[in-house]
Amino acid sequence: MAAPLDISPAQAEATPEAVIQGAGGRKIEGRSLGEIAWMRLRRDKVAIGSAIFIVFLVLVAIFGPFLVQSPFTYHPNLINPTLSGPNGAFGGISGAHWFGVEPTTGRDVLARVVVGARYSLIIAFLATALAVIIGVFFGLIAGYFGGWVDTLIARTMDVFLAFPLLVFAIALVGVVPNSAFGFSGNNLRVGLLIFIIGFFSWPYMGRIIRGQTLSLREREFVDAARSLGARGPYILFRELLPNLVGPILVYSTLLIPTNILFEAALSYLGVGIIPPTPSWGEMLSDAVQNGYYYIDPMFMFIPGLAIFLTVMAFNLFGDGLRDALDPKSR
Amino acid sequence: MIRSKITGLAALGATAALTLAACGGSGGSSGSNSSSTSTSYGQGLTSIINPSNTPSSGTLTFDLSNTPDSTDYQNTYYAFMWNFVRLYSMQLLTYKSCPGACGEQLVPQLATGPGVPSNNDTVWTYHIKPNVKFENGHTVTSADVKYGVERTFAKSVLPNGPSYYQVLLKDNKYPGPYTDRAKNVMGLTSVTTPNATTIQFHLSQPFADFDYVVAIPQSTPVEPAWDTGKYGGANFQLHPESTGPYEFQSYTLNKQITLVKNPNWNASTDTEAKQLVNKIVVNLNVNANTVDNNLMSNYADIDMAGTGVQTAARSKILTQPSLKGLADDPISGFLRFAYINTKVIPNVHCREAIEYAANKTSIQDAWGGPVVGGDIASTVIPPTVIGYQKFDLFNALSQPGGDIAAAKQQLKLCGKPSGFTTGLAYRTDRPQEVAAAQALQASLQQVGIKANLQGYLSGKYYTDFAGAPAYVHAHDLGISQGGWGPDWPDGYGFLDELSNGNTIVPAGNTNISEINDKSINSLFATAAGQNNTAARTAIWPQIDKKIMGMAAILPEVYQKVLLYRNPNVTNVYFDRPFGMYNYAVLGLK
Repeated sequence: MAAPLDISPAQAEATPEAVIQGAGGRKIEGRSLGEIAWMRLRRDKVAIGSAIFIVFLVLVAIFGPFLVQSPFTYHPNLINPTLSGPNGAFGGISGAHWFGVEPTTGRDVLARVVVGARYSLIIAFLATALAVIIGVFFGLIAGYFGGWVDTLIARTMDVFLAFPLLVFAIALVGVVPNSAFGFSGNNLRVGLLIFIIGFFSWPYMGRIIRGQTLSLREREFVDAARSLGARGPYILFRELLPNLVGPILVYSTLLIPTNILFEAALSYLGVGIIPPTPSWGEMLSDAVQNGYYYIDPMFMFIPGLAIFLTVMAFNLFGDGLRDALDPKSR
Repeated sequence: MIRSKITGLAALGATAALTLAACGGSGGSSGSNSSSTSTSYGQGLTSIINPSNTPSSGTLTFDLSNTPDSTDYQNTYYAFMWNFVRLYSMQLLTYKSCPGACGEQLVPQLATGPGVPSNNDTVWTYHIKPNVKFENGHTVTSADVKYGVERTFAKSVLPNGPSYYQVLLKDNKYPGPYTDRAKNVMGLTSVTTPNATTIQFHLSQPFADFDYVVAIPQSTPVEPAWDTGKYGGANFQLHPESTGPYEFQSYTLNKQITLVKNPNWNASTDTEAKQLVNKIVVNLNVNANTVDNNLMSNYADIDMAGTGVQTAARSKILTQPSLKGLADDPISGFLRFAYINTKVIPNVHCREAIEYAANKTSIQDAWGGPVVGGDIASTVIPPTVIGYQKFDLFNALSQPGGDIAAAKQQLKLCGKPSGFTTGLAYRTDRPQEVAAAQALQASLQQVGIKANLQGYLSGKYYTDFAGAPAYVHAHDLGISQGGWGPDWPDGYGFLDELSNGNTIVPAGNTNISEINDKSINSLFATAAGQNNTAARTAIWPQIDKKIMGMAAILPEVYQKVLLYRNPNVTNVYFDRPFGMYNYAVLGLK
């Protein structure tokens, strides 16, 4: 129960209790949602650290291959042929080979990790982009239109989620010829991997967007737009989409590490990048399948560490981004 | 004729046979002596380690990292199984149990002597020993041997074994005993049994190597009555009827096989096997690294697969002298090589450029180096196979790093001085083959030959990809990685499927180079009708040289395996025909 109103006219002309003055006397300006999010993100040291690492990684992937030695050059003199392992401690680490050399061949591990970063990141980024585009489009449509459209799309997503993806990937890589769609060799393989990974991870994005759209479409601003005569496409892409940027950003960031791991898994199974082009998964697979990890643990440790750090950086950054954009979901 | 063949082989293995005689002579007493003497690296290649005829009450344990294709002797194609089934079966002929080249001799086991050919080598007659018993005490007759051969025709029930009888016998349309309704008629007309101890094989064409065919475990006798009901057909492998020193006690699929002594086995009728332990246990699906650890810590006695130790155990064995003395490093008789397709790369000089440019050392390293990879190869026939003759057309031995100058010279003669582009097929699920393909690619790059790697899964490699000429032509697969081990250790077993023009088939092709050379084909025809062993053996190096002259095969390595022998096991030695230790004679201290 509210207290009985007893307000004198004098009190009605109240002055604000707080003085609109920032600390140090600076004037306070209105902040946009983005600015608030950026402020929150900046305070999250872990997220910022991860972001710096990601930027570093991207720079390595872009410029690194021009700085390191050839990842294809054999150095048989650095290898003990009887045991297949590199001469010297820690996988043959030396001034010329900072991360050591590969068992059997003597190829420089640093060069292979750096060039591998390029392939692993290209595949992960583009596959994520593909998944986001498909996922957002269908998620929006399913959530906004509802009814049989929603049923159709939602069930399709269920089918995709239930699909034995790895088996399909192995089969598809096996049947696609060596040159198709104007590509050949490794370019074709990279394209194929992007397609497979992207095409099968869109439902994760689609379901999230669909759920968000379902709640957004009942909001007043959508009703307002509709009463002003706005039609489907306008509402979808001008009203709803901007409000979904937060979740899209967050879940894209979280999808990237998943895709890096997936690329590694495919390379591990021998259907990833075509050798001798390096990729992290291929290096791990070499270490495990040939049993090199017994004689040269460094050779397994280095690509493993690269995958671990990358996946962790993207995950932590994604978490930080989510906390910044949408603190309620914490 | 055949007698001369056997003597010829005996001469080849004379030194090894002498060693055997020396060891075998002292029998049990030397067994007790040897327990204190230490053995040396590679000693098992030329002599029997811990020779002993003393029975032990212990259990001989085999570990296997996967499972056998079948324990049915008529339905298996794995070398280790052909070796192992000798513990519970007898064949008409078998390989002599002795080390070195001596072990490549065929000796009668169930038969009284080698096959007697007649009618221009198309009829082969064997007489079997009259007093050999099955595990149930029944006497083995020629009809039982015939029934065993009939079983090999039932490919829908027993698909795994080789098909030599279907290829060679006249009655090649016989459907097998399970669909042959009139059981008592004994339907395979190409095998006749004039009496209980005589069996005759009627071939559609002369085949001088037939003795090797009956040495394959498929000639094991089986009673038709045993092959019915609980242990009939595909379930026969759960308890194959034994004629050997041991019999099945139990077989839990994918887990364990247990063998116990066969009371009806008689050492006087089976001189090539021994019955020295009470029990034999085979543990299946043991992790490959665990197998090695079990061997070295005496939890297991033999690694059944016989393909050598893993990387981890290799570095242990080679770096510790005490372990190294317990290891052997034999040439297994298996060749790693690359097919160079004569249709995709029709110009011989272009193919020769590949032969010269290949860096044999880095390819050898890819296969595992000089100890477990193999010796650098310059011929198609490996040194342990009858018919080997050393030659080095492309300087593989004198310039193992690749003869770049000669390769460039050949490219000029080919009309492509700056090189060319071709596909290079390999199996993605074989890590060493992946490495070898990359090493070959890297070395060809040096002379401008660009080899595009094309990986395939091994399950379909021969049926759909490298072994399908139409696919090979359409995808420009000029080079395909391959490996070959013979079904029997002579030139025919090695060369026929790789280079005889009539073996080119649309799918499952093993003559991937598509060698169809008149002179080679006629040499094979000559050999098939040549009963004189020396003359026949002289043909194999000729074919080998012709294949190499065509530059149709790039030999990479004569595979070597690093085998570890548990010091508690007796009568251990490397058996050439199977490329591993002889399992038929093992005992325990």
